[in-house]
Amino acid sequence: MQVAHAPWWLGALVVVGTLAVGSYAVAALHELLATAVAGGGVRVGEGVAAPWRRAALLLRQERTRTEAPDPITWALAPALYGGLAALALTVVPLSSTFAVADFRTGIVVWGAAEALAIVAIFLHGWSPNSLFPLVGAYRFVALALSYELLSMFVLIAAALPAESLQLTDIVAAQHGLWNVVRQPLGLPLFLVVSLGVTFWGPLDLADSSDLAGGTSAEASGGQRLSWQLARCAMLFSFAAMGATAFLGGPLGPWLPGPLWLLTKTVVVLVILVGLGHVVGRVPPERFVAVGWGLLLPLAFLDLLVAGLEALP
Amino acid sequence: MTLQTLLVVSAALVGVGVYGALSQQSFVMIMMGLELMLNGVMLAAVAFWALAAAGTPKGQLLTIVAMAVMAVEMVIGFAVVVAVYRARQVDMTDMLDELKR
Amino acid sequence: MSAFLVDLAFWVFAVGAVWTGYRVFRTDSMVRASFLLLASLVNVGAIMLLLSAEYLGFALIFMMALEMMVMALFMVMFMMNPAGLNPMVMVHQNRLSAVAGFAAFLGLSAVGVLADFPDRPVPEPVGVVARLGEELLGDSMLVFESVGVLLLATMIGAVALSSQRGRYGAADEGSEPPPMVPREGGAR
Repeated sequence: MQVAHAPWWLGALVVVGTLAVGSYAVAALHELLATAVAGGGVRVGEGVAAPWRRAALLLRQERTRTEAPDPITWALAPALYGGLAALALTVVPLSSTFAVADFRTGIVVWGAAEALAIVAIFLHGWSPNSLFPLVGAYRFVALALSYELLSMFVLIAAALPAESLQLTDIVAAQHGLWNVVRQPLGLPLFLVVSLGVTFWGPLDLADSSDLAGGTSAEASGGQRLSWQLARCAMLFSFAAMGATAFLGGPLGPWLPGPLWLLTKTVVVLVILVGLGHVVGRVPPERFVAVGWGLLLPLAFLDLLVAGLEALP
Repeated sequence: MTLQTLLVVSAALVGVGVYGALSQQSFVMIMMGLELMLNGVMLAAVAFWALAAAGTPKGQLLTIVAMAVMAVEMVIGFAVVVAVYRARQVDMTDMLDELKR
Repeated sequence: MSAFLVDLAFWVFAVGAVWTGYRVFRTDSMVRASFLLLASLVNVGAIMLLLSAEYLGFALIFMMALEMMVMALFMVMFMMNPAGLNPMVMVHQNRLSAVAGFAAFLGLSAVGVLADFPDRPVPEPVGVVARLGEELLGDSMLVFESVGVLLLATMIGAVALSSQRGRYGAADEGSEPPPMVPREGGAR
């Protein structure tokens, strides 16, 4: 399909700008929903200010040191994770004819970014050379193998009606009917993957408090801030992808495409962050059993439904 | 970027892989040497596909088969390492010297 | 992209692939070794992208990221010195291997440089992915089926080889946990 091309610097600017605003929005939403879920009503002023306050606090904090860390890897792991969030966002079409990098194999690019994100999280836990971070990293990788399979099956199912791995084609194929109606299992499974890969809420099993902070147990100050920022950015990218692959992305009446995409992304974000507040942390061993025994067969079912519908 | 330079690069990858697979003592490091050799093979296959085969998809298929071989090598390799370790507490080739005696 | 930029990118990725590949066997840490190998594979994937093999390049990066992740897990599980805090040399027949590796490099690159290969580049990059898909899943699906069956057999074999409990009881029955200090006179 023919798409518009932008100069590379404009694309980079769009992606970085969107992610900067997006990750701040995720942090603010996290605070807002926390008060709302706790019954304190919607306090916009507090929610908007809280991320800045936390960031300022972290920036004033002293850096912790560990014995014989791998300093370069430790410092670069958040950058790698955030950069992968940006790479993942480049393939998401912002309007029905424009994505920053509209690869013919968009779904595979997304999968590569997800797979390398797992490596980034492992390195973040391995590099401080400390016990709890390594345990968190190990546990995350063991779980991540089940997220990755789920993610690929539901995204391939979403690509089936379009008969293309290109995301602008996938959006175009949802003109008549969104994938969320066509494949009702897809979006919920993708939300599970999103929470898993960004270790958010119920699936916060990499940085959880039962491991004294997991992979970021030894991170403090600006390093912790950048890691949390990267994590918010990744959650934003996942929400944008969920909105694109299952909710029709920029498709919709009256409003221009980017606004529709933004609206749907925010809806997905509210669901994700809200789930993070409402559902308690899942025990990892139970999640592995559920993941392989229940969620993976459901993903197969999703693929089967998509395949049957795609038959001529 | 010509076919010649691409083939030299892939030959270098295979060469390093041969060195690693022959010189390392630990099973897992030997597997890394094998993977590096397959890496060179895949590069050469894609180079031939792109520059000498007029775009018939056969070269790409060869690469896909090489990827499958990598996966098989790793799975079976780790399974054997686990089995050997269970039986003998051994993770290096030189410790498996029963047949030498 | 201009031809010069493509050439520059190719040399950066080529040197990166070979250098990180060599560093795999020169680092003290097992985890570093597996991620250096991943770096080498990612560089090769990038060269594939330059060669307009879009699907293969990204698929290589995607698959190898997961594969090397698993590799690193096994590394930490089996090996001493996962963090690379102590210097470590675990090689044998070093000189012979170096000669063999160099000979392989010379022989293969001689073939690459001296042999006369046809010069028939990909006509247009559009439709490359579609043609690959048709070849893979068209008519008889031979490659797809055989690779699928191969992987299934591999999975079954690996589970049979490594599972804890077999027909004759637990696999580690009668074995002992590894000692904290090395046994005298080697492993046995």
